[in-house]
Amino acid sequence: MVKPMTHMERGLAALADEPVDRLCNYPLAMGVNRRLLPGSPTYREWANDPKLFAASFIEGQKYFDFDFAIGLMDLSVMAADLGAHVRMDAENTPFVDGHIIHGPEDYEKLAEKGVPDIHKGRCGVLLEGTKLFAEKLKGEVITAGFIEGPLLALSQTASAERMFMDMFESPSAVHKALELTSEMDSQLVSEFAKCGVNGLCWDYLWASYSCLGDDQYEEFEGQYALKLNKQVQEEGMAVCIHSCADLPHLDYQINTYKPAIFSMGYYPLIPGSKSPTEIIDEGYTKNTLFAGVIDPQLFVRGSVEKITGVTKDLCQEVKTALCKNNQKSRWVISSNCEVPPDLETKLDNISAVVNTAKEYGAF
Amino acid sequence: MSKEDILNKLADAVLRGRMADAKAGAQEALDNGVPALEAINEGLVKGMGIVGDNYAAHKMFLPQVLMSAHTMYAGLDILLPAIPKADAAAMKKAIVAVVEGDVHDIGKNIVKTMLTASGFETIDLGKDIPPADICANAEKEGAAVVAISTLMTPTMEGMKAVVEGLKESGYRSSVKVCIGGPPTSPAFAEEIGADHRDINAQDCVNWLKEQKVI
Repeated sequence: MVKPMTHMERGLAALADEPVDRLCNYPLAMGVNRRLLPGSPTYREWANDPKLFAASFIEGQKYFDFDFAIGLMDLSVMAADLGAHVRMDAENTPFVDGHIIHGPEDYEKLAEKGVPDIHKGRCGVLLEGTKLFAEKLKGEVITAGFIEGPLLALSQTASAERMFMDMFESPSAVHKALELTSEMDSQLVSEFAKCGVNGLCWDYLWASYSCLGDDQYEEFEGQYALKLNKQVQEEGMAVCIHSCADLPHLDYQINTYKPAIFSMGYYPLIPGSKSPTEIIDEGYTKNTLFAGVIDPQLFVRGSVEKITGVTKDLCQEVKTALCKNNQKSRWVISSNCEVPPDLETKLDNISAVVNTAKEYGAF
Repeated sequence: MSKEDILNKLADAVLRGRMADAKAGAQEALDNGVPALEAINEGLVKGMGIVGDNYAAHKMFLPQVLMSAHTMYAGLDILLPAIPKADAAAMKKAIVAVVEGDVHDIGKNIVKTMLTASGFETIDLGKDIPPADICANAEKEGAAVVAISTLMTPTMEGMKAVVEGLKESGYRSSVKVCIGGPPTSPAFAEEIGADHRDINAQDCVNWLKEQKVI
């Protein structure tokens, strides 16, 4: 039995697959934490105020007692600053409702505009907010910034359907715009490094076999992401990846990017989706700390009893698979994707996951 | 060019995403007296069926599927007006929409394509559509299927509102309601009274075949 560990000790041990007192936990609770703040700010207020953004992570840490803090806002941050119109309802995750790419020539226009000032706009809020919570939680938990991959950022700017068709018909135009989003990502990487986070978490949404094949993914994101991931490491941060889509390009991402942490979803109804046992048995956790796989909808629609049972089963499954494979700790009890930041999400269900992981994840 | 050559040309155009070939093939079909419905079913739809199977088997991916879909529509634009009215009236109708509050429509568009390729006259209401509009259109069009999707949790309630609206109007028993999108699940479908939760577009079509709607 391992003596009780701090969050930081546990997280670092899990990254190294060393013995831990219990499995790490981090249901991906980000925007929902704002509800713990005085006056319960709206999502819109939270996403536009770096102090509220930071305070929510700090308060969430106090209230739920997580092992990590990862600064996801939403997936339209870069697109907004690139000129796309973002619809930001008071209590809904913002999304792009006005794309700026309507034909192949628009990719070149976007590229010619150059990278916007990332210290202003939505990127500015994200960077400032990340810096504030990273300073406060430094040494307490492993912190990471959250950044959109170059293909995701472009798809949000162009619309996914438009971009996918242009990848087929006008690939050189798409590449010109990808060079721009990669440059924007590169500038963001440097700024995140100055925020004092331990890691940087990429969202490579389209790295999914439901969307792209290996060759397409490598051509339209892999080659750019590889350079950016090297930059992340050179700037002193750990590479983390969140891949909530079904059927992620696991082999490519694990072998090429060599992430320290890989957060993913498991969709039992989709043929080929890998369970935690399969992930561990097939060796993906040999060098990478994996995180998942609780259905986010359970935080909204499930009862405390239901989500407790699911978490208990997940802890048991992961511990059994790790033990069978002579591994110690490379799994984080987490959710497939962000815990919905909705008003209907049950905070008690988040606590239930954390508390169950503490009890049944113990070694 | 023989009928067989024309039909093969149409199927091949869809399979390869060659819009110009689909338009040319469709016109050739009409010019050579190939019945429009046969050109659709044995040409365009046959090609799209292969695309759908390849997509399900991860042998083709979204960029190609979308190009094939648009190629099929290019051919349909020429062939559909040439279908005799009696044949057109016999086609079952499907309503597809993204529910109010959401604009993510790539999944909906793939479902639309596969339903069209399965012989439906598919009416695409678009995205961010209020439940009342979906219900009203289903009844007005006499739809056999309503397929609705969302990517976002807060808008899932819109799906429930669609089912309830169909019940209130008395049309619910005449229509199959399929739902899809990452936050949905079979349990949610059951909870709101939908008939099926689609894993993907192929699953939607396969289930409708099982139900003998197709």
